[in-house]
Order: sequence, then C-alpha cells, then structure tokens
Amino acid sequence: MAQGRVHLKGIYKRFGNFIALKHIDLDIQPVEFFALLGPSGSGKTTTLRMIAGLDTPDEGVIEVDGEDVTFAPPADRDIAMVFQNYALYPHMTVRDNIAFPLKMDKMPKAEIEPAVVRAAERVDIAHLLHRRPGQLSGGQQQRCALARAIVRQPKLFLLDEPLSNLDAQLRLQTRVELKKLQRALNVTAIYVTHDQEEAMTLADRMAVFLEGDILQVGTPDEVFNRPASIAVAAFIGSPPMNLLPATLDGDRLTVSGHSMTLPRAPQHPGGEVTMGVRPSHVRIDPQGLPTRLYLSENLGESALLNLYLGDELVKMRVASFNAGAEGETVPIAFDIDTIHLFESGSGRRIPLAGE
Amino acid sequence: MRREDGAHQGERRFALMLTAPGMLALLLTTTFPLAYLVWSSFQTINLAMPFMDGFAGVQNYVEMWHDSRYWHAMGLTGIYTFSSVALQVVIGMGLALLVMQIPAGQWIFRIVAILPIVLAPVVVGLFWRTLMLAPNFGMVDFLVQWLGFEQINWLGAPTPALISVIAIHTWQWTPFAFLVFLASLASLPGDVYEAARIDRANALQRFWHITLPLLRPAIIIVIIMRVMISLSAFAAIFAATGGGPGTASEILNLYAFKTSFVELNFGYGSALAVSLLIITMAVSGVLFYLRTPRRREAGA
Ligand SMILES: Nc1ncnc2c1ncn2[C@@H]1O[C@H](COP(=O)(O)OP(=O)(O)OP(=O)(O)O)[C@@H](O)[C@H]1O
Ligand SMILES: [Mg+2]
Repeated sequence: MAQGRVHLKGIYKRFGNFIALKHIDLDIQPVEFFALLGPSGSGKTTTLRMIAGLDTPDEGVIEVDGEDVTFAPPADRDIAMVFQNYALYPHMTVRDNIAFPLKMDKMPKAEIEPAVVRAAERVDIAHLLHRRPGQLSGGQQQRCALARAIVRQPKLFLLDEPLSNLDAQLRLQTRVELKKLQRALNVTAIYVTHDQEEAMTLADRMAVFLEGDILQVGTPDEVFNRPASIAVAAFIGSPPMNLLPATLDGDRLTVSGHSMTLPRAPQHPGGEVTMGVRPSHVRIDPQGLPTRLYLSENLGESALLNLYLGDELVKMRVASFNAGAEGETVPIAFDIDTIHLFESGSGRRIPLAGE
Repeated sequence: MRREDGAHQGERRFALMLTAPGMLALLLTTTFPLAYLVWSSFQTINLAMPFMDGFAGVQNYVEMWHDSRYWHAMGLTGIYTFSSVALQVVIGMGLALLVMQIPAGQWIFRIVAILPIVLAPVVVGLFWRTLMLAPNFGMVDFLVQWLGFEQINWLGAPTPALISVIAIHTWQWTPFAFLVFLASLASLPGDVYEAARIDRANALQRFWHITLPLLRPAIIIVIIMRVMISLSAFAAIFAATGGGPGTASEILNLYAFKTSFVELNFGYGSALAVSLLIITMAVSGVLFYLRTPRRREAGA
C-alpha cells in the first residue's frame, strides 16, 4: 500500500508577535511530488519543519497516514530531510555523514558501505567521501546533505531548497536525478523552493505561499494557466503576467479605450476589473493599442519589450532581439482567449462561463 | 620595498622597547628563579648542616631514586591529579548539560559557579577544614551522622584525608570546567542536532556522536589546564591537612616544600621541585600532542 499521505489542518504558527502561518490547510497524497513555492519569508521552511516534527504548531493538526503526529518527535515519523543550510555533521567525513542515518538504523556494517557509495554516486560526490564538510564547496555540501537524505528509504522525503547552491548546469542535472529518484523510491516528497521553474518541472502539485498564507494549490498547469488570484498571477511566470486595469460590461472588455468581446460570458456583474495577459500572449498588431517602447531586453533565445500603454508598463515577448529606437510607437493587441480576469477589490479570479 | 622594510624595522624596535620592561620582569621572576632552582638541585644546601654545603653533582637525584617517601608522594600526586581532573570534567560536563536544558536564568548558575573559583585556595582549605570537615562541628560530619553512619575523621585518618583533599580541589575547580563546557555547548550549531533527530539518533547517541566530538577541543583544554594546576596544587592541601596525617596527603609539591622550608634542606628540596617540573612539562607535552586531531585520511 502506498504510504505517506500528509494532511495539515488549520495550522497556525506564531513567533512572538509575528504570525508566520495563518491557518494552513494542505492534503498531500501518497507518492506525490509536492512543491511549496513562495517568496522568501513566506513560511515554507516553517511548514516543512512542522511536518518534520522540529517545530510544533500553535494550532492545528498534522496527520500522516491518518495518524495524528502533531506532537510526535521526528524520530517517530520516518522522514529524511535536506536542510536549507545543509546541517552536515562538521566533525565527520562525508562518508560518515552519509552513513549516520544507517548507523542509527542499526544496519549491519557490511551493508552500510555499499549503500553510502551508491547514494554518493547518485549525487556525484563519490570521490569526496574522505573529506570533511569544511573542505567542501557549498554545492558539494548540498549534495552531501542530499546523499545523507536519500541513503535511507523513508516514508517522507523533505527537501528545503536542496538545489539552491548548485550551478545552473548541475541544478538541471540534479533536478532530473531527483525526480527519477523519487519515482524509483516511490515515496512522498515535499519540496520547498522559491524557484518557480523548479516547482513547475518537478512537482505533481504545488502550493503557492505568500506571507504565511496558501494562495493556491494545484498542478503546475493549473497554477500557471488558471492563477486563482492577482497575487498568484503577479508571482508566477518569468516575467509574470501583465496586469492592467480594465472595464467589464457584459462580455465586453475595455482596456485603454480598446474594446474586445470575450469568447464566453464572465461570471461577474461588470465594472472595474483587472486584466492579466502573459508577455508571450501580447502581439504586435497595426490596428492595436499604441504603446511607446521604453526598453528592449535581450534574453538570448527571445527578447522582451518594455512598453508603456499610457502609464502602464506592459512586457511583451518577441522572438528575436531588435533594439528598436526608444520612444518608438509599437501597436499591440492581446489574444482574447489568453487573457485572465480578476476582481479588482478582492483580487479573485473571474471565471468565464463553463470554467 | 626598502622604505617599507625600514618602517617595519622601526616598528619592531619600538615594539621591543615597549615590551622590554615586561620581558625583563618576566626574566627576573621566572627564568632566573628557575635557573637558580636547577642549579641548587645540583648542590648540597642544608641550613641544618651548613658545613656540608657544596657541589653535589647528581647526588640529590640518586638519593631521590632511593627515597620511598618520594615515590609515595609521586603516587599521591598521580592519584590526586587524575581523580580530581576526572571528577571535574565529568561533573562539570554533567552540570553544563543539565543547565543547558534550562530555558532561562542560566546566568544565575554562571555567577554561582564563579564564587569558588575566585576564593583563594588557602581560604578554601581552611573553609573546608573548619566548617565542613571538622569532627563533631563540620557540616559533612553532621550529615554523615544524621544519616546514621559512623563518624569519620575526615582530615585525621589517612584515606579519608586523601579523599577530602581531592574533594576540596574538585569542589573549587569543577565550576571552571562547568563554565567552559557551558559556553562551548551554547556555541554548538543547533541545526546539526535537528539533523541528528531526523536521522533518528536518541539523546544518548546525540551526546556520544555529536556533542562529545564537537566538545573535544574544550575538554582537552580543560584537562590540560587542570592537570597542570593539579600537579602543582599546594595551598588548599597545606591549609586543610598540611600533607597529613603523616604523609597520607603529601603530594610531591608539599614534600618539596617541607624539605626546603621545614627541614631546610634546599638542595634536596630543589631536586624534588625539578622532578615535579619535569613531570608537569612532560604531561602537558603529551596532552598538547593529543590536542591536535590526527586526521584519518581514508582512501584518496
Ligand atoms: N525561529 C523564528 N523566530 C522568529 N521568526 C521566525 C523564526 N523562524 C521563522 N521566522 C519568521 O517566519 C517567517 C517565515 O519564515 P520561513 O523560514 O518559513 O520562510 P521561508 O518561506 O522558508 O523563506 P526562505 O525562502 O527565505 O527560506 C519569516 O518572516 C521569518 O522571519
Ligand atoms: Mg526557507
């Protein structure tokens, strides 16, 4: 039977006067790769520490496989964890660091060494087994922490930004390795990151954190294509989508004096709304809205135009870099079926009929 | 380049000028007496028999070799040093671990711990002799009798006297070990313990595999400092038992003192002192050697 269902119910956590988590609810399925995504200080590590049993919530219940573990010590939870700052044992060699969980598990000595070597090989540090953490680079320490976590077969795999200190190439490589590893081990993985690309590529589902709140839970696809609020829309995507004030009247949407007809009726009485459109869904159209080119950024494979539509900055992705003259007029239009609508006050998404 | 060298040299000369008085004082108060001590250990200087005075060569050392009182004192020094240092480390560590569990108010323990350290050893010796261990009046005696045990003459019987002087020394200096260990414990990285808890190490395993190795430098420093002081302990024992009864608590230092200043046999006393000096230096040398961790370079 697949194990490792994690259920957080109404988790509330305070540090002094500061509220770190405001009634978090999460239901993480067995064998799921679940990402906690959010900017710095949003409460991701705090959430993970409570799942690990290193902290206890002020309110709420944590269940693992239906069992209340809210106040259970970490040792009773059968977890492995990669810490954000590695937390390697400074006086032990890499070999002893990786072997430590196995020794505590009373694994026979003869089986420990091959297991250690296998784990080290998976993260490419088999040649560093004799070193101490102080003699490793940041990325090597991180991989050592990763090896120490994957050397056992736990019920839950908790990772706090395990790739943040690797260079771009190694990060991509380890990312793939990590995903394959989780599939092979067949365990639930909870993965903290502030890198949305990482969350998008690794996660089966993810939770978007902001200031101690969960803004949205869903598959990467759902979060990217149907952001639940302005806050999520403003966070997801690089760069995130353009958000422009607009007026809604029935199924007619007016932006900067330019009217469009929505493909389906929005479930909203009309009035002031916020329209969102991704930079890649903005196109040049001679009949479109006139904008002023402010700056053109070269991203290599594509380019990004910073345009001013009145006072509003609009980012537009184009296929190739062309350092157009600043101040030049660029007429733009939006594909009507790619736009997102949000209530201006609450920031909630306005669904269209049939959604 | 050259100008810089010149400046450097000037600086050096200035530094020398500044330190010269201190150096001189040090030379006069330590090196010179030491040299004098070694010189006198090769002489016969006996105020009780001044007519015998003169160069003696290694005569004093040969005599020492055949002196059973010397070997007795040496044995006592070993017992005294080993047991008092071991007790200080173990008790100090235990107390530090205990106090670390207290979430607030650790400073009270720090202050209380300093009190015995700042007392002069003579005061400590007298304090124990009169208040704690005196027959009939002493608190320890009172406690022992209250518990229904037989009265023990703590400072008057041979074995209890040795135990007492060890206890006194331990009482005075355990706080030192305690304070060092407490400070070291407070500076240990907390996340490493969290990792160990995740890795399912229980409290005892965390102590054995994490705390102890990380405290190793502090433990060794405490041992080195305390061994060096214990080997040459004097005032507290002198005040409490004077080395007695008989020679039951007469460690090497006391024997050297008595030989020189009670029997007025300076030559032989000096030789005894020199032997203590050599032992102290040898022991510290070994300990310092142990302090540098020898890396086990496995593989590669
Ligand atoms: N022990 C603590 N005492 C006081 N405040 C804390 C403590 N731990 C966390 N916080 C606060 O709680 C908030 C959430 O912290 P947390 O570590 O969960 O953030 P995070 O989402 O992991 O951020 P990052 O991406 O920077 O690691 C932060 O504002 C932080 O300052
Ligand atoms: Mg964090």
